[in-house]
Amino acid sequence: MEPTEFLNLYLLSVTIASLLANVAISLYGVFYKPHYTKKIIAVSILSDSANTIAIFIGFRRWLSPSQPPSVAIATNLSREGIEKFANVGVDPLPQALVLTAIVIGLAVTLFLIYLGYMLYCHYKTLDMREIRRLKG
Amino acid sequence: MYSHAWQTSSILSYVGEKMIPGETLHYLVMAVTALISVVATYMAITEKDLLKAVIFSALQSGMYAILYFLLLAPDILLVYIPVAVGLIPGVLIVLISKTERWEKE
Amino acid sequence: MRIVEIAVIILIVLAFGLLITVAFSYIAPGTRIRPLGEFYLYATYNPYDPIVRLFTVMSPEGVTAIVWDFRGLDTLFETSVFYLAIIGALALTRGLMPAPRSEEGQGLSVIVKSVTKITAPMILAVGASVGLHGHLTPGGGFQGGSVIAVIPMLMIVIFSVLFLAKRMNVTGFLILRSIGLAIIGFTGVALFIAGLVLGVPAWVFQNMPKPGAPLSMPVEVHGALISGTLWFFNLAEMVAVASGFSIAFLILLLVKEVEFRGKS
Repeated sequence: MEPTEFLNLYLLSVTIASLLANVAISLYGVFYKPHYTKKIIAVSILSDSANTIAIFIGFRRWLSPSQPPSVAIATNLSREGIEKFANVGVDPLPQALVLTAIVIGLAVTLFLIYLGYMLYCHYKTLDMREIRRLKG
Repeated sequence: MYSHAWQTSSILSYVGEKMIPGETLHYLVMAVTALISVVATYMAITEKDLLKAVIFSALQSGMYAILYFLLLAPDILLVYIPVAVGLIPGVLIVLISKTERWEKE
Repeated sequence: MRIVEIAVIILIVLAFGLLITVAFSYIAPGTRIRPLGEFYLYATYNPYDPIVRLFTVMSPEGVTAIVWDFRGLDTLFETSVFYLAIIGALALTRGLMPAPRSEEGQGLSVIVKSVTKITAPMILAVGASVGLHGHLTPGGGFQGGSVIAVIPMLMIVIFSVLFLAKRMNVTGFLILRSIGLAIIGFTGVALFIAGLVLGVPAWVFQNMPKPGAPLSMPVEVHGALISGTLWFFNLAEMVAVASGFSIAFLILLLVKEVEFRGKS
């Protein structure tokens, strides 16, 4: 492969590798950190990283050095404009699914925060090892 | 309307006398943003002060917002910025103020 | 010590990237996308092609067309999931009594209060603009609602909780949210009821004329594009999402220390 193409592929794989590293670090945080609020932070980072991987798969590369990809909005509404738009736009389907996923993740996080406050009112601590020992 | 940003980047790389093609500059900024988000995630998970952990997680969400802009997804960006940089850290800080702040060993 | 750990993590990521490059041709983004995605891009505003004009949405924004028309039922159930989370949070905190707090001289200084009084209507205008232009530019119901939901959080922090709770109670926000959800439900079945009245077949959640169901919502009003049901859905979802978030904050900040009724 020529060096420019290799450099492009390398930079794309650095991006996907750091997203996977984010998933790994937040999974470690969910399992091994005993405090409840830290677990909530780690779960929200995990869901955001999974959504970003989905949008990354729907990306479209440059067709040629003068034809960059465009957002999924048609600006030229004539007949030829729509045909050119279908050749250049990024994939809109993962974006629509991720929109739903972000709102649902937000609703679950809000509910988890309420549950955390109820736990604190009941056990006077938020350390999960303490709660397991009390087992009230 | 949206394509003139890439023409600007080609002009910038021409001015920088190195002739980096626009595509490589695009992917380079994406990779740098993703690496900064890895550092912010690591600092957020291994921090004992929960207030600092929330601030680091807000920084990571800001980096993800820039990544969504570079991946050409403006609808996701407009949902993600108020939610993950404003509302979720706000509610988490309220929870921290009503419960504990320091994570014990 | 932290710097050594961070450097190790960055080196691992860079080396892993080098490994992936060799086997990357199978998952890398290419210059073509999936055929379904290309069909959605081609059919989102297409009154020209004789076959695709039966499936078009007449909205230049691809993502909003998929969210509210091509996959409209997904969004309906996601709205109901959000509704269930708010109802669950309300039900959890039913036993706690809001603490009686005496004076209202709290909050931050006069400068911050005057600036907030100027910028809060501006935030409202920006949120409404993002939400109502969802079928033409990036935006839509969720985006506008999230931006507007920042206003109650600002008011709670800068003035006090009682300032908001005395003017607009939790019940008021619940009424606003129910109005938004009712408008969504009614717009979904509007064409179905019109078809029943006129004796013409029509689908539930129908937007544009389909083969065999010739009714359609208005595509434009005096030359300005509104794309049928998309504008009404965006308006109702904006109101519903903003008031849903406000309920969540207000309850979390109103409850005080434990006062369970009866047993603990």
